[in-house]
Amino acid sequence: MSNNIACTHCHLEFNEDVMIKDGEHYFCCNGCQGVYHLLNEEGLDSFYEKAGNTKLTPQTSQYEDSSNFNSPAFYDKFVSVDKDGFSKVSLVIEGIHCSACVWLNEKALHKMDGVIEADINFTNNKATILWADNVVKLSQIIDMIRAIGYNAFPYDASVQESYANKERKDYYLRMSVAIFSTMNIMWIAVAQYAGYFSGITQDMKTILNIAEGILATPVLFYSGWVFFRGAYYGIKTKVVNMDILVSTGALLTYIYSIYITLVESGEAYFDSVSMIITFVLIGKFLEVLSKKNAADALDIMGKHIQSEINIIRDNKLISCKLDDIEVGDIVVVSSGEKVLVDGDVIKGNGTFDESSLTGESEPIFKQEGDSLISGTVSIDADVHFRVVKDFKHSTLSTIVTLLESAINKKPKIQQMANKLSEYFSSTILLLSLFTFIGWWLWPHSFETSFMVAVSVIVIACPCALALATPVATLVGLSLGVKKGILFKEAAQLETMAKIDTLVLDKTGTLTVGKPEVIKEHILEEFDKKLLYSMVKNSKHPIAKGILNYLKNKDDSLENIVLDEFTQIAAQGMKASYNNKSFLGGNLSLMNAQNIDIDFKSENSVFYFSIDDKVVAIYELNDQIKDGAKEFIDFILGKNIEVIMLTGDNENSAKRVAKEVGISNYKYEQTPEDKLNFIAKIHDEKKKVVMVGDGVNDVLALASADIGIVMGSGSDIAVDVSDIVLLNDSLKSLSDAFKISKTTFGLIKQNLWISLIYNSITIPLAMAGYVIPLVAAISMSVSSFLVVGNSMRIKYKWSK
Amino acid sequence: MDNWVIAMMLGASIFLGAIALTAFLWALKNGQFDDEEKFLNAVKFDSEEDLNDAVNQEVKKEKLKKEYRPE
Repeated sequence: MSNNIACTHCHLEFNEDVMIKDGEHYFCCNGCQGVYHLLNEEGLDSFYEKAGNTKLTPQTSQYEDSSNFNSPAFYDKFVSVDKDGFSKVSLVIEGIHCSACVWLNEKALHKMDGVIEADINFTNNKATILWADNVVKLSQIIDMIRAIGYNAFPYDASVQESYANKERKDYYLRMSVAIFSTMNIMWIAVAQYAGYFSGITQDMKTILNIAEGILATPVLFYSGWVFFRGAYYGIKTKVVNMDILVSTGALLTYIYSIYITLVESGEAYFDSVSMIITFVLIGKFLEVLSKKNAADALDIMGKHIQSEINIIRDNKLISCKLDDIEVGDIVVVSSGEKVLVDGDVIKGNGTFDESSLTGESEPIFKQEGDSLISGTVSIDADVHFRVVKDFKHSTLSTIVTLLESAINKKPKIQQMANKLSEYFSSTILLLSLFTFIGWWLWPHSFETSFMVAVSVIVIACPCALALATPVATLVGLSLGVKKGILFKEAAQLETMAKIDTLVLDKTGTLTVGKPEVIKEHILEEFDKKLLYSMVKNSKHPIAKGILNYLKNKDDSLENIVLDEFTQIAAQGMKASYNNKSFLGGNLSLMNAQNIDIDFKSENSVFYFSIDDKVVAIYELNDQIKDGAKEFIDFILGKNIEVIMLTGDNENSAKRVAKEVGISNYKYEQTPEDKLNFIAKIHDEKKKVVMVGDGVNDVLALASADIGIVMGSGSDIAVDVSDIVLLNDSLKSLSDAFKISKTTFGLIKQNLWISLIYNSITIPLAMAGYVIPLVAAISMSVSSFLVVGNSMRIKYKWSK
Repeated sequence: MDNWVIAMMLGASIFLGAIALTAFLWALKNGQFDDEEKFLNAVKFDSEEDLNDAVNQEVKKEKLKKEYRPE
């Protein structure tokens, strides 16, 4: 009978027999035991009380030497110095499960000498740490975080978030002031309106006016500052934008109201001033909320490139800054590392994953004399290579440079509402001027004609117009999130709806991107555990495919410890257990061992032999994703042109294209080819969506009107893209098309509502039938109409 | 006479409201609402010991500030 006990530190449950017993406590591993004693010694054991039964990650992993964190190159990149001379770094902390973890990390760091501030954000696990560098070093801080069972790695916070956050915070402040004042003005306005209908003394009116005026002032000049700024830039660039309309309308009404208050006759309209500003500010805020910062994209590639690599100089292994690498230097790459400069292999051999550059799904074997391209990743190779191009001229850097220009070249499709508001604003300003002149000449008093002219501006004040797009897109965005589609910017919904060309990558987009077993031939029964344990030791995609297959078929398989295991580069692997020898790999491995086998297949084939006798053959292939054909049919039905681009060879491109029904495809495409292809489509004045997942698609993704990336794609691709499909499915890709179409339809409806409303009310206002009070009320009504209309989309989709 | 009562009431209530607004704006600027999870859980970590720790941290910072003069 198994008797499971929870580990005192991490609370994961294991059988009693395998646990480490320590007094009355049980631990699953030495790591957990170490952390527990450390916390006890430091007097931080109340952590366990706070954490309750939350399961933590056991402290097992080994980390690279933390002294790397003290290198000048690292300090250059990640550590900044604040005004008091303290050092500051931004870290992402791994392994945070609950608020007690945050507490523990902050406490442990605060206890260290020299650490001045440790502030950890629970929502995104990001920490800012401030310390005195002469007292304690960053490596010691990171060692402490590791010692208590977490891990930390730095990120460059300077460019990434600070700007977007600052802008958002700024809007929060402005909105708080605007909403506070408007709400209070409303109460006072109730008294005003009551007085308007049932009589009020002039003194009382003046008091109320002054109170309203005091409240409206910060709304206009503090909250409304964004509109004045926008109007200033509008005038400077000679574009009549909505900001000009809003700020003139509000400012004129404000000045007029002050005048009324001073002469103590007529009605003041401070409530309209603050209401216009508040409503339009909310609309603007919704836009800011769903906007991605363009500056973000440029910093992207940099953060994925480590700043130092290992080279051999004078027979010594030293680490060297990337920029200091010279042609002729000898660079050491071990398995799992990324090649950062171009070069030729001079020692060692092994397989490399070039898929991020070429899209080729199979790993490639390299040996002495072969050339390495930067950006490839070593799978199992430990090699030395001679640099042939310095970092700036290597393939990887060239891609970064191309990426920067691709981002700048990205076409900006002007949003319909913006285009409309330009015409609208100038028309209204002119109409209002004509109204004033007309009434003035008719002849009326200056006051009356001025008031009528102002009422034209106020009633036309584009609250509904300003809300039309943001509210509809926000509803569309939240719908997308529910379906696993992240739109990074609201404007993309509109762009996406106007698309007429779809470009798809093959590997990882239309196909799963990993080889899967499609056929199993058992020639002789054998113990599956042996094969399972063998493939488990390898990182090769084929081995992983077989591992998954075996696990899916029978998940009770257990790992046995093999007596011997070696990988044979580009061929497979060799193992022994209980005096039996096993081989697993491709045909050339079998041939090398003089095993004859007669088997033909167009797929990748994996042979497994026991004592030189083949017992099983597996056929593997990169499978096409579920629903790929339905998706292509759906897109073709929408009259969108579909093109497939792949870095893979002709045969596999042909097979996939045929199977899903794409007639137009190109194969053996380099990243630059893809970029040029997108540019060519742009030249034909077409709007294009690019869907991809790897680094080889990055250039195309960045230059297309819309780049869509699979959530499992590489980090860089996710960063440069506009839309992320979290569940990798083609179903959500077609959902993305549907959502954008519906949302765009809704935006158009909303714009129509606000235009129709204006075409009725503006003539009335010009004729002098509408006083600003009525204008203010009808303004709210039209805004509600637009908001209500936008909510319909949810009901439409829930059906 | 009545008018002054109303004027005073208005003045007083707007003033009180403004104090609350200022406090809110201060908290917002200070980053107290930046991390909603931490903000909601703050009550759990508000013991005497935690407050002492916060004070000690301040003292430590001041002390280091005086000693620490890098170029």
